[in-house]
Amino acid sequence: MKQLALSQFNDIYLIVIGFFLFFSVFIGAVFWVYRKGSKKHYDYLSKLPLREENLT
Amino acid sequence: MSSLNDTNSRVVQVKYNDQIVRMFTLATIFWVTIAMLVGIIVALQLAIPQLNFTAWLTFGRLRPLHTNAAIYAFAGNAIFAGIYHSTQRLIKTRLFSDGLSQLHFWGWQFIIVLAVITLPLGISQGKEFAELEWPIDIAVVLIWVVFAINFFGTLLKRNEKHLYVAIWFYIATILTVALLYIVNAICIPVGLFKSYIVFAGIQDALVQWWFGHNAVAFFLTTPFLGLMYYYLPKAVNRPIYSYRLSVVHFWSLIFMYIWAGPHHLLNTALPEWLQTLGTVFSVMLWAPSWGGAVNGILTLRGAWHLLRTNPIIKFFVAAITFYAMATFEGPLLSIKAVNSLGHYTDWIVGHVHLGALGWNGFLSFGMIYFIVPKLWSTELYSKKLANIHFWIGILGILFYYVSMLAAGITQGLMWRAVDANGGLVYPDFVETVIRILPLFLFRALGGVLFLGGFVLMLYNVYKTIKQAPKELQEETVQVKISSSAPVHPERGHRKLEGMAAAFTILALIAILVGSIIEIVPTLSVNKYVNTENKVEPFTPLELEGRDIYVKEGCFTCHSQMIRTIPSDVLRYGAASTIEESMYDRPFQWGSKRTGPDLARLGKKYPDLWHYMHMEDPRAVIKESIMPAYPWLITSTIDFDSLEKKVAVSNKLGVPYSDEDLSDTSERAKEQAKKIADVLKKQGVKEDVSDKQITALIAYLQALGQKGAE
Repeated sequence: MKQLALSQFNDIYLIVIGFFLFFSVFIGAVFWVYRKGSKKHYDYLSKLPLREENLT
Repeated sequence: MSSLNDTNSRVVQVKYNDQIVRMFTLATIFWVTIAMLVGIIVALQLAIPQLNFTAWLTFGRLRPLHTNAAIYAFAGNAIFAGIYHSTQRLIKTRLFSDGLSQLHFWGWQFIIVLAVITLPLGISQGKEFAELEWPIDIAVVLIWVVFAINFFGTLLKRNEKHLYVAIWFYIATILTVALLYIVNAICIPVGLFKSYIVFAGIQDALVQWWFGHNAVAFFLTTPFLGLMYYYLPKAVNRPIYSYRLSVVHFWSLIFMYIWAGPHHLLNTALPEWLQTLGTVFSVMLWAPSWGGAVNGILTLRGAWHLLRTNPIIKFFVAAITFYAMATFEGPLLSIKAVNSLGHYTDWIVGHVHLGALGWNGFLSFGMIYFIVPKLWSTELYSKKLANIHFWIGILGILFYYVSMLAAGITQGLMWRAVDANGGLVYPDFVETVIRILPLFLFRALGGVLFLGGFVLMLYNVYKTIKQAPKELQEETVQVKISSSAPVHPERGHRKLEGMAAAFTILALIAILVGSIIEIVPTLSVNKYVNTENKVEPFTPLELEGRDIYVKEGCFTCHSQMIRTIPSDVLRYGAASTIEESMYDRPFQWGSKRTGPDLARLGKKYPDLWHYMHMEDPRAVIKESIMPAYPWLITSTIDFDSLEKKVAVSNKLGVPYSDEDLSDTSERAKEQAKKIADVLKKQGVKEDVSDKQITALIAYLQALGQKGAE
């Protein structure tokens, strides 16, 4: 099975499928990160290093 | 936020472990001094070969010490200090275990001391940035596991549910470095101080540069990016420019970096598809790298005035700018055409130092200036000294980088210069060395300047600590823990950020994809090796000579890989094939040609030439900058160890004959006697039949003579 998989490495369809798979995951991730309603959460996260630790 | 009288929330007191951070900070400062001192010594040795005083102070042995000290001692201690300091504060809890923290610290320093002792003694696995021999490798892995337990244990008892992006970078670092280090170091010992790597030839080359490149990625980049994401916002007192960008940046960076290793093997015998993959991913890496750099730089929006007054900001901004420059140059050098010019030259050395001095150095210095006053509850002794340090450091980097860039491109162009008749314009390698020699001195000057600036920091830190109060307190904070519902409902990535285990697994998958696709096919190497091309293994004596070659670090200056480009073929002969190095453990393709390629050195010169050349290179080639190796003429060969070496090689698949296996030392002595007799006839007075020089000559004369051209 491994040899079969190896022999496919020059297969243009495999390369194209790989490209679209990786690229769509990337585009999907970007859309997800910039989705509506996430601003509040990311603002909270980005302030974590600056939050005053002492409550007093 | 829930109100204070919320019955579900309570306030706990958290005391941070600052003692361990202080220790790692001081260790950083100590080891960076050593790393830079050794750096200056090796830089000067390249310009003035007479500075190679004794065996254990030669370039070939000190250069691995310099790189190991810079990576594991300096950068290592710096990231441990930063990770322990920032993680406690980001998740509002004390480190998991004081005992493990201490073990981590002392274990790591012990490993460094072992490296400082063994590398000059020539105890080396002969793989760049992974030279440490197997017993030390085991110690490294154990201490790394201690670090991992301490870190993940801290995550488990955290009081802040959400993991800030810096923590992700730390997680990716811990995971990936463990994987890289273990896989790259798999070997079979043939003695306490000698082992053979399991992978051979092309496999070893690929695994080595998968490791080597990702040591840069996951030891010198991801942890430092994590530090940037914490300390930069702290220093300018405003959040990172775009948190969303940091999410995209993180995942694309770790996913892509792992593929880029083959760009260290461009135009070699490595299969074409791997070279292409390496190039494509290296070029794509430009995007996430700059995503991080831009995110850092833009964090200063509206606060640029701080750059004028605050030396810490200066160091951070310069560090990020150097990071941007180095990650622009990296993809450029990964393009095959550019690489054919730059590879094996000092351009690469310049590129590395742009990252090491500019990015890792300046970011660490900025961090140290930031945390030292906090850790010792005082103010920085002198801002002015820090400013001077900054400017001298910048000057040092410029001297270093510009001289190496000029040297690299000059030499690269000379190597490939061809006249109208199709012959080499500079057939003598040494001509191309003489031309760039003055630049070696400028480089050393750059190093001295950089160290000079650092000495100011040493003084500044010393004075700062001296003015600290006698009784140092560990910082204690009140943390409110709410057990009621979180502020906002959690879905998807939000939830993921809260789930350290799931996050860790996803990060692991991200780095495994590229690793598996590139490495697994190469492990079935018979797909690439043409079995009709018979390759003879090295004889026992030649094998011993090869081990001496590795021990002396010859690979730090000589490659054994004739690339598939015309100028290489013109100069050195037919391009190297995969079969030629198929039994080489470790592979010795090399990454730098301070001297010429040696892949087809065998039979080119008589034995006496090699004898004289090793005794005093300048007796044979007047302008040579190679160190002399007179001790090889007096040190004896350990014939008794040969049997084990040949047996282990045989077990690993090297086809030794039954006679080689049963009468190993006799056969080696026989061959040594022949060489010694020839040398005697040619005028060598001493009997060298049991001396290391004989084994080395046997090996050098066998290079490229074993078939499969």
